[in-house]
Amino acid sequence: MTPSVPVRPAAWLPTALAALAVASLAGLPFLTLAPNRLVPGSPVGCGLSGAAAGMLAVAAAWLLAGPGRPGRAGIALAVSLAAWGALLLGAGRAAADLVAGQPPAARAALGSGAWLAGLALAGLVAESARAALPRRGGFVAVLLLVGLSTLAGLADFLDALSLAVEYRARAASIGTAFVQHLGLAGASLALALVVAGPLALLHLRGGPASRLADGLLNGIQVVPALALFAALVAGLSALLALVPALRSVGLAAIGPTPAVIGTAAYLGLPLVRGLAAGLAGVDPDVLAAARAMGLTPRQVLLRVRLPLGAPVLIGALRVAAVQSIGLATLGGLVGAGGLGAVVFEGMAQFAQDLILLGALPVIGLALAVDAGLALLTGARIAGETA
Amino acid sequence: MIRDGMIRDGMTRAGRGALAPLLLGLALAVLSLPEVAGFVVRILGLQAGTPVPAGRLAWLARQHLVLALAGFALAGGAGLALGILATRAAGASLRATLDTLAAAAQAAPPVVIVALALPVLGFGAPPILLALAAYGLMPVMRGTVGALATVPDDVRRAATALGLTPAQTLLRVELPLAAGPILEALRVVLVLAVATAAIGALAGAQTLGTPIVVGLQNQNTLALVQGAAAAAALAFLADAAWLAAAAGVGRLLRR
Repeated sequence: MTPSVPVRPAAWLPTALAALAVASLAGLPFLTLAPNRLVPGSPVGCGLSGAAAGMLAVAAAWLLAGPGRPGRAGIALAVSLAAWGALLLGAGRAAADLVAGQPPAARAALGSGAWLAGLALAGLVAESARAALPRRGGFVAVLLLVGLSTLAGLADFLDALSLAVEYRARAASIGTAFVQHLGLAGASLALALVVAGPLALLHLRGGPASRLADGLLNGIQVVPALALFAALVAGLSALLALVPALRSVGLAAIGPTPAVIGTAAYLGLPLVRGLAAGLAGVDPDVLAAARAMGLTPRQVLLRVRLPLGAPVLIGALRVAAVQSIGLATLGGLVGAGGLGAVVFEGMAQFAQDLILLGALPVIGLALAVDAGLALLTGARIAGETA
Repeated sequence: MIRDGMIRDGMTRAGRGALAPLLLGLALAVLSLPEVAGFVVRILGLQAGTPVPAGRLAWLARQHLVLALAGFALAGGAGLALGILATRAAGASLRATLDTLAAAAQAAPPVVIVALALPVLGFGAPPILLALAAYGLMPVMRGTVGALATVPDDVRRAATALGLTPAQTLLRVELPLAAGPILEALRVVLVLAVATAAIGALAGAQTLGTPIVVGLQNQNTLALVQGAAAAAALAFLADAAWLAAAAGVGRLLRR
């Protein structure tokens, strides 16, 4: 039942992706033209470049469906990347044509057809890259897609798209929010690590105190994040009313304090479990040998348990880091800023472009951190450890 | 047989484990009542705003539970189906792709999915349902694949030798043997769904997150405390209910 041969991507998947790309380009609105950034636009179909992207996608799928020769996969990768390029340039050019001669507030946004086709083409690029380079394919595909899109953006090909217009209007505040978000996530991870270290050692020792700590960490996972952040706001304001001196240390009921504490609380469980599993997973014989060599318990911990348990530790760190980036988004609700604040402002205005400007970097950051830490463990990208 | 006994033992242990979340959930539910929450907020020296009446809170809790259960059914059903598909010979090639997709879905936190879905799906329940389904899919799928992988190949071959069809092998041999870890994954996703449904309030769905969001916006600490306590209470009670039900089923099986 469990195949002994390495698992190959499903043969019909590229065909299905190409079909999805063609169907969404042909049947769904490619772009929408709206009189301003808040009202929904009227749909516009795809032009010649959309048709070209669809045909290139079909060609790539045909190349992938054939007998698996390495050269063919490489050509499929090039063709699917060309399809992605055609989609980007086509969207940029069509948007420029649409807004030319319109009032300055008019916006040409990507329609559902362009988004779906983009997803399908990205999948096609990933499948081709995986066929060409089985081990690092996913990572290479992400690099190529992001690189090509960044190049297109830098070369001003995409300037007329609504998202780019919105970004130009808010570049400074988005940049600040991005840095704030990284700060919130990083501070939470650091705080959680400081707390998780001693708790993991306590867990290894066992006893009632360790059971209490484990129960507490498990219990926190059940509490809704929104409720915990809200409770922290209420609790911190009560604490600050009791001990006003804490304000001088920089604590506040609204702002980064509740966001960092709340995020860190959820990271405790994966970190403690991972740390404890990593430290306990060492072969007892190795530990016995280390003790026989005269190493003190401290040396056993630092020189034997930590290096040998490193892959499990980094795996736990990876889970916690991805979670911290997602959870920090809620910081926007308690006044901590970050990309969450951008998302919530967009939701309040019902402005799709602003929501995207906040949400896309959150997803990108999470994927980048996940891929980066996965490379560090030497594991394959496709979620082997988690 | 040994494995069967282990599952039952696990279930009775789960029965004892239901007590802590039950008590915690009941305590938080009492704290969410307008009188109790008002008393606590005043004791803490915070200014109380307008309370959320108990009837409104109960209505919100019902809405919240319906949303969470719908999301749980979507995630659980799809996750179970995909997990079974990925462990069949015909679907083995799907596994890497499903893993990548599920990992990608996990990179987008529920609040981001709700935000992205808002302009497309509009205000109300649909955005949070989508978020619950996307977020719960991976734990169920991973749990199902992992649990089915623990069934020894010998057992599968024995079932085939006995003349069972693949469908019978799945229903009568593999799923019963893998039931423990699969049920555990479903419990995690149920609790996750009840907890995460609160986020739906951001897209205008009526949930126990609504008093929290309104409280944060209007600096109404009382509504905020009531909503937070009630949302947490519901999550703990859902956990307790699942554990108690699992223990009850375990007792029935032992008879």
